[in-house]
Amino acid sequence: MELKGTAASAGIGIGRVTVVEEPDLSYTSRTVEDTAAENERLNAAISGYIAYTNAQADTMREQVGEKEAEILTGHIVMISDPFMQGEMTKLIEGGTCAEDALVQICEMFATMFESTGDELTMQRATDVRDVKTGVLAELLNKRPVDIGGLPQDTIIVTHDLTPSMTAGIRPGVIAGVVTETGGLTSHSAILARAMELPAVLSVPAACTSLKDGDLLIVDGSNGIVTVEPDEAAIAAAREAQAAYAAEKAELAKFVGCRSVTADGVVIELFANIGKPEDATQAMEKDAEGIGLFRTEFLFMDKPTVPTEDEQFEAYKKAALICKGKPVIIRTLDIGGDKDVPSLGMEPEENPFLGFRAIRYCLAREDLYRTQLRALLRASAFGDIRIMVPLVTCVDELTAVKDLLKRYMIEFDQEGIAYNPDIMVGIMVETPASAIMADALAAEADFFSIGTNDLTGYTMCADRGNEKVRYLYSTYNPAVLRSIKRVIEEGNKAGILVGMCGEAAADPLLIPLWISFGLGEYSVSATSVLATRKQVSLWTKEDADALASKVMQLNTAAEIYEVLKEAAR
Amino acid sequence: MFSEKVTLVNPQGFHMRPASLLVGEVAKYDAVVTIVRNGNEIPGNSLMAIMAAGIKCGEEIEIRAEGAQENEAGRAVVDFIAAGMGD
Repeated sequence: MELKGTAASAGIGIGRVTVVEEPDLSYTSRTVEDTAAENERLNAAISGYIAYTNAQADTMREQVGEKEAEILTGHIVMISDPFMQGEMTKLIEGGTCAEDALVQICEMFATMFESTGDELTMQRATDVRDVKTGVLAELLNKRPVDIGGLPQDTIIVTHDLTPSMTAGIRPGVIAGVVTETGGLTSHSAILARAMELPAVLSVPAACTSLKDGDLLIVDGSNGIVTVEPDEAAIAAAREAQAAYAAEKAELAKFVGCRSVTADGVVIELFANIGKPEDATQAMEKDAEGIGLFRTEFLFMDKPTVPTEDEQFEAYKKAALICKGKPVIIRTLDIGGDKDVPSLGMEPEENPFLGFRAIRYCLAREDLYRTQLRALLRASAFGDIRIMVPLVTCVDELTAVKDLLKRYMIEFDQEGIAYNPDIMVGIMVETPASAIMADALAAEADFFSIGTNDLTGYTMCADRGNEKVRYLYSTYNPAVLRSIKRVIEEGNKAGILVGMCGEAAADPLLIPLWISFGLGEYSVSATSVLATRKQVSLWTKEDADALASKVMQLNTAAEIYEVLKEAAR
Repeated sequence: MFSEKVTLVNPQGFHMRPASLLVGEVAKYDAVVTIVRNGNEIPGNSLMAIMAAGIKCGEEIEIRAEGAQENEAGRAVVDFIAAGMGD
């Protein structure tokens, strides 16, 4: 049997299940007479909690790292707050039992944190509730399961992996994690990745459908849990495990290295993201910036259009996570296959050639103004750059720049901070923009080649249409010539030229990009290290020799064969 | 009593790190420090109360200090906030 969930932490684990359930912390409220004794009970529980948490933090520091241990020392700092303890004591002196006093005061602070509107403080509400649970367990004498005592090759199955559980995990003993809740950016996922434990999250009813002792394969790379696998499946999993370990060891050599060709040409290696939180994983994977932040998520699946403040918070968050590294944010790219219900766009006969992306935004200045103002405000918090999608003529870019100038004047009058030198570039993804690259390069601060749409528009082929999909390939000489021209024109004008389509991470195409002089590669977070490795395998000279051969060929099939033959 | 107004300049306001640094600063002195914001008094020794108040960048608050070292405490806290609280 196979169960599917979120692939939250890569790798493959094989082992037997231990279901770890949170202890039952229900209690009966009562009125207390001896309030001094009750207060003493609470103090003793707090001291016990602090001692226990301190020990856990030490283990965490040793086995995982300082950053993860800080989550736990933060809990100690919170419960040690004299004012908060004083508020609990006041309740107890009025006859409230210690459990109720603890729960009420912690909930009060958690709720207040949540209503501050400050992202960082709002996240701390979870920590206040963790503290509440921890002290309550002490009061009720029910400490959580001791994960440190579990046998070799255990797969932990739990509702949610908490920091206190993680503290007990010994590397090499726990083989994997399966949880019922949590997404890619949850505490569970971040902790599992930090400990390099294969993890599949959000597997519905995992705690009830899996039993202690069940044999499992946890495939954290693909989000699949195999229950009671046969011998062939186990053998295949062991093989995949070995291959994954070898690949990881190889790529680990590239962490913290510069992205540079074998003969010393430095390139910039960025990551593509769809939500501000994704920037965390991109930074974990050693990306040097964000090359494409798609902003559509802010607009999709929502009944109303997001406000300037909502957008500002999202862009600012990404900028803060990236700590001064470049964050290229693409303005709203809707239409085509991306519908946004709240905008009430009319269906069109030919949406890919229709009213979409920058065309739509320039016609809806009310909407675009909100986004551009939010981006400008967020530019005070990092190196935010604005990227305009689907440009086909120079006027579109100048129109956007004029709008930005106007909003900057508004901000000067309102006294709001922004970066006056914010870079404004375009996504080159239409044949028109490739042909006009020289003129556009004079107006744009950077180019980013969107190979997915550029391939589709150049070849006039929809990759979703099975009958014409054979034409949809970046290996086509028409597409490659177009890309070469864009890079050369950009370099001639002295602007940064990047690429943010899937082709940027294609190991066969990377030597061509090196030869053409591509300056920035933006790939998925999980491809960052592999791309850095590929780039390091080529010298400019070798890449040039291969490119001159390839660029004389007339068919995609021949080009593919030659590139495959030369692959490193 | 020491009393002085100061404006928050660090972009992220009082989140956990600056709030705990401020509480640490307060603890160095023999004085009771209070943050007054929109008429509400927030105890300067309470990380939780300071965070819960959600004071943001650009807001003006008043720092009060009372006790043997009220001037030293008040000055230290005001300077710490004006300098951006380590952010």
